[in-house]
Amino acid sequence: MDVARTFFCVITVLFVIVCERFLALAAFSQSLDSDFTFTLPAGRKECFYQTMKKDASLEIEYQVLDGAGLDIDFYISSPSGQILYSDQHKSDGMHTIETEEGDYMFCFDNMFSTVSEKLIFFELILDNMDGDEEPDDWKEYVHGTDMLDMKLEDIMYTINNVKARLGKSVQIQTVLRAFEARDRNLQESNYYRVNFWSVVNLVVMMLVSGVQVYLVRSLFEDKRKIRT
Amino acid sequence: MMLSVATAGVILLAVCIYPGYALYFHIGETEKKCFIEEIPDETMVIGKYKTQLWDKQTNSFLPSTPGLGMHVEIKDPDARVILSRQYGSDGRFTFTSHTPGEHQICLHSNSTKMALFAGGKLRVHLDIQVGEHTNNYPEIAAKDKLTELQLRARQLLDQVEQIQKEQNYQRYREERFRMTSESTNQRVLWWSIAQTIILIMTGIWQMKHLKSFFEAKKLV
Repeated sequence: MDVARTFFCVITVLFVIVCERFLALAAFSQSLDSDFTFTLPAGRKECFYQTMKKDASLEIEYQVLDGAGLDIDFYISSPSGQILYSDQHKSDGMHTIETEEGDYMFCFDNMFSTVSEKLIFFELILDNMDGDEEPDDWKEYVHGTDMLDMKLEDIMYTINNVKARLGKSVQIQTVLRAFEARDRNLQESNYYRVNFWSVVNLVVMMLVSGVQVYLVRSLFEDKRKIRT
Repeated sequence: MMLSVATAGVILLAVCIYPGYALYFHIGETEKKCFIEEIPDETMVIGKYKTQLWDKQTNSFLPSTPGLGMHVEIKDPDARVILSRQYGSDGRFTFTSHTPGEHQICLHSNSTKMALFAGGKLRVHLDIQVGEHTNNYPEIAAKDKLTELQLRARQLLDQVEQIQKEQNYQRYREERFRMTSESTNQRVLWWSIAQTIILIMTGIWQMKHLKSFFEAKKLV
């Protein structure tokens, strides 16, 4: 019985250690940035929620990619229901919030539009959600002589630096992609518009000239009948 | 002592499998929510979702609901369906793109019993990872027996590779954009010239026709 208990205890401890190790590894490679692109039909409102920890930071960036007018209403409210930011008819925006514990709600409002649906892109960047797990990890894996420790620390510092910069690069790329998508959609709708209205113009002109000629002719037809 | 260790183990296990701080939104019974992912080709996308049902009695969301499923449908840029499957209340779907462009991921609930005992509200936690974010680094580290430093270097290499792929795709999109712009500009020019010529010709024809008509009627 005692042996069984000790055995169970040892297994649980080992499991906890293994799980914590994987959790640490997962934490350092897990991305807490997410971006979504979705279609918001006319006259609708779409809300999203994000659970935040205390003293973390939430950065949200949104852009309207497609849809007549290319504008949308946007607001963020804190877990206590207070509206932190409210944008009216903007085509893009960026807000950073120092968060407290709770669920933050942000909404895109297309109620003012009756016919056009909007294509909206938004990106959420969360910082400081891990707390201070990472510095402890690194200390665990550095072994060797004193001189080796210093060098390894320098290398690790540089690598961390490079990773941070590359992360920033990826964010900028995402933003540029959104800008480009918007410009592309604008130009394509321009193309269709030019085609359509040119054809309409041509048809109207020919119609008008035909009607003019017919009207003038009909004036003279009546006079001839009166004479004879 | 044993109990506290066991509790710690269970709590840690729960933390391991909980999806973490993912975005969530509410979905109605027949509502379909679609998200668009614009990705280069040969890119893997993993989507994870977790659903919670609103409980009228306790006025809160239940942690997990068996028997409630979500139907996931994924379309490629040519509007062909590449994945159309039913998943349980917690699901994980994966696909790899073969053509670059806008892929559409649509989710809708398949349950009709929702209105009956939930008041029609379903909370969906969603997390979509694209490209090198899909790599499971603990697994790669274990398989290739990498040290922390080697793992970091591998991660950096994957990230840079993804950046390069995205930039190539951006070049292809910019080319398409430039072609459309140039085509529009050309068309504007030709249509304007054609319109002006037609306008002038119509005016000349009108005048000639009316003149010959008046002469025929002996008015001029």
